[in-house]
Amino acid sequence: MSAKKMLAIINAEIHTIAQKEPIQGSILVEDGKIAAVGQVEIPAEADIIDAAGASVYPGFIDPHTHLGVSEQGMGWEGRDYNEITDPVTSQLRALDAINPMEDGFREAREAGITTVMVAPGSANILGGSTAVLKTGGGQLHQRVIKENAGMKAALGENPKRVYSGQKRIPSTRMGSAALLREALVNAQNYMHKIKRAGDDPEKMPPRDLKNEALIPVLKKEVPLRMHAHRADDIATAIRIAREFDIDMTLEHASEAHLILDRVVESGFSAIVGPSMGTPGKIETQNKTLEAVKILSEAGVTVALTTDHPVLDIYQLLHAAAAVVRETGMDEYQVLRLITINAARILGVDNRVGSIEVGKDADLVIFRGHPFDYLSTVMYTIIDGDIVYPPEA
Amino acid sequence: MRAIINGKVYTMAGKVIEGGTILIEAGKIKAVGANLPLPHGTEIIDANHKHVMPGIVDAHTHIGIFEQGIGFEGADGNEMTNPATPHLRALDGINPMDPAFKGAVAGGITCLTVAPGSANVIGGTAVAIKTWGKLVDDMVVRDPIGLKIAFGENPKRVYSSQKKTPSTRMAVASILRENLVAARNYMEKMERAKEDEEKAPDRDLKLEVLVRVLKKEIPLRAHAHRADDITTAIRIAEEFDVDICIEHCTEGHLIADFLGEKKVAAMVGPTLGTRPKIELVNTSFSTPGILFRAGVKVALVSDHPVFPVEQLPIQAALVHKAGLPEEETLKAITINPAEIMGIHHRVGSIEPGKDADIIILNGHPFDWRTKVEKTLIDGEIVYER
Repeated sequence: MSAKKMLAIINAEIHTIAQKEPIQGSILVEDGKIAAVGQVEIPAEADIIDAAGASVYPGFIDPHTHLGVSEQGMGWEGRDYNEITDPVTSQLRALDAINPMEDGFREAREAGITTVMVAPGSANILGGSTAVLKTGGGQLHQRVIKENAGMKAALGENPKRVYSGQKRIPSTRMGSAALLREALVNAQNYMHKIKRAGDDPEKMPPRDLKNEALIPVLKKEVPLRMHAHRADDIATAIRIAREFDIDMTLEHASEAHLILDRVVESGFSAIVGPSMGTPGKIETQNKTLEAVKILSEAGVTVALTTDHPVLDIYQLLHAAAAVVRETGMDEYQVLRLITINAARILGVDNRVGSIEVGKDADLVIFRGHPFDYLSTVMYTIIDGDIVYPPEA
Repeated sequence: MRAIINGKVYTMAGKVIEGGTILIEAGKIKAVGANLPLPHGTEIIDANHKHVMPGIVDAHTHIGIFEQGIGFEGADGNEMTNPATPHLRALDGINPMDPAFKGAVAGGITCLTVAPGSANVIGGTAVAIKTWGKLVDDMVVRDPIGLKIAFGENPKRVYSSQKKTPSTRMAVASILRENLVAARNYMEKMERAKEDEEKAPDRDLKLEVLVRVLKKEIPLRAHAHRADDITTAIRIAEEFDVDICIEHCTEGHLIADFLGEKKVAAMVGPTLGTRPKIELVNTSFSTPGILFRAGVKVALVSDHPVFPVEQLPIQAALVHKAGLPEEETLKAITINPAEIMGIHHRVGSIEPGKDADIIILNGHPFDWRTKVEKTLIDGEIVYER
């Protein structure tokens, strides 16, 4: 057996996120995992990074992007996230379209963002399954944390704009809701047939990938990741989730603060953003950074998103800074939004989101405060390997 | 405990009470009458001998699904992609932030129907909601209250332009029959499967709604203007033995005896406004009066945004002028629509046990100078001038 690969980051101010106050000391990484944090004896064979005067944070997480499926600097050739030919495409998988060579991943690493969720777009009522992956450190299959992190769904203006243009359902909010219900009922019927068939192959329905993809949703193994901006759309999403007893995350959630009680009562998390861009649509007119604070204080698990490429991925930190500046929200709480909260919402907090023994060694070492526009990232580390700067 | 005192109270359930008191507890009307004792600590709203009446009920609107002041983004009432969409629910398309709701409470309208539009032969289910709230689910009084269907020019105009059926009145009727037959087949399969679960058909949300119609749990709410369309609607309802009420009923006065004999309710309106379609040329303020005398239960409707909901009292005044007795006209915007919507145990009159949806006006509701001074929904003041 080969010797363990070891890396030690010493003399660091360590923001574990697991606790509010930073720790002075070292982080020992063994085989890509965090082996020890704090006053640590450093083995002689470990590679050393001296982080004196710098701060270490867990790699940041954007839980809602289209990285690699809507490629930067390209037109039609790199646009692979909206299959606007059928409003129900639950059988699609974001993973099948991710180009790991996309430059956005490099920019993510440069900014200290180490984990992202990649989702299909919001043209379809059911867009396909989402994937969670690292932004670097190997080939695509090695980067994946979760192949299926939930089914992308959408309500509001986008699906009805796309399909009314094609003179197809949905062209109204009623139509969108009806299609979603119908797809879920079809999957229930399919599940029921499989159950009824038992061991009798004669009775087994033909395999159906569209329905099959919704079974993990119906079994609550993964949530619907519901694009919804306006309060009425969020209310409809919660109504349907209740009818079918399924889990859901509220993506964008621009007006969630206007129906706070219902959102709190639902227990669903909210991925808020992109809060900094211009409100280009009627349904985004009421978006505000204040919502982040209001929702957080009411007990909703909140994370921030750039919705890359709507905002560039590196703006995740600018968005977090803006939340602190505009709302006065506590800095530590805001750091949680882009680390452990995002990890929880994606169901990957056993792997990433904080600096704790046993977790993946996804770390970012900053000179300066991470919210400071002038700060620089010294190193970004994924699974114990330095992924930024590239020459290191 | 809260009380409205010194009101000229039109309860819509008996005589007008001069100097009347309404006791309100936990959003409900606890008692109404003259000289009621007030429990200690009761919060007083003094009506100063002004008119007090139940909140106005509009049995047919599209508030919140055809939003005011915005275009495509707020247009959610007509899914013009398939002429038979029974599985659509108005509830899913309502935006409580539509500014029209503010107009409604300022006009004293406290409860209304929101229905899908009339582009489709079968449009979807209609819902009864209060006019105040941020979350539609909390505003619901009853859902569904009926299945919207449509006859006449609208469905055939929409689909003939798409070169699809229905492009004639014959096809409109045929699509409705076909869907009701499919639902009956589905219902029979379900019945048969009670003994043998293997035979159960797949759950079908479209047919499920139509089964509720066949079981008379909810009525068909038929958009029909012309007398021939009204007649067709009733013919089909009788063929399938289902409940029906007529929306608009514009030419109802031409077949008033027939409607009286069939005992179908009519939601007449909007009577204000222009007549841009052939099927509207016989629009008349005298229709409700004629229907009433023929024994038809009548409600007056704004069809908002076709006509603004807060102007329903103007329409009522003109209908009264054209022959509907005053008390009947007031009923046509309160208890009658509540009965047609199946929510008269909650709203439509000032009686103990009902929701405290009450308005105070500075004059008679049909007087041109009258303004709503206060609107209460579930006992809370939601509008005050």
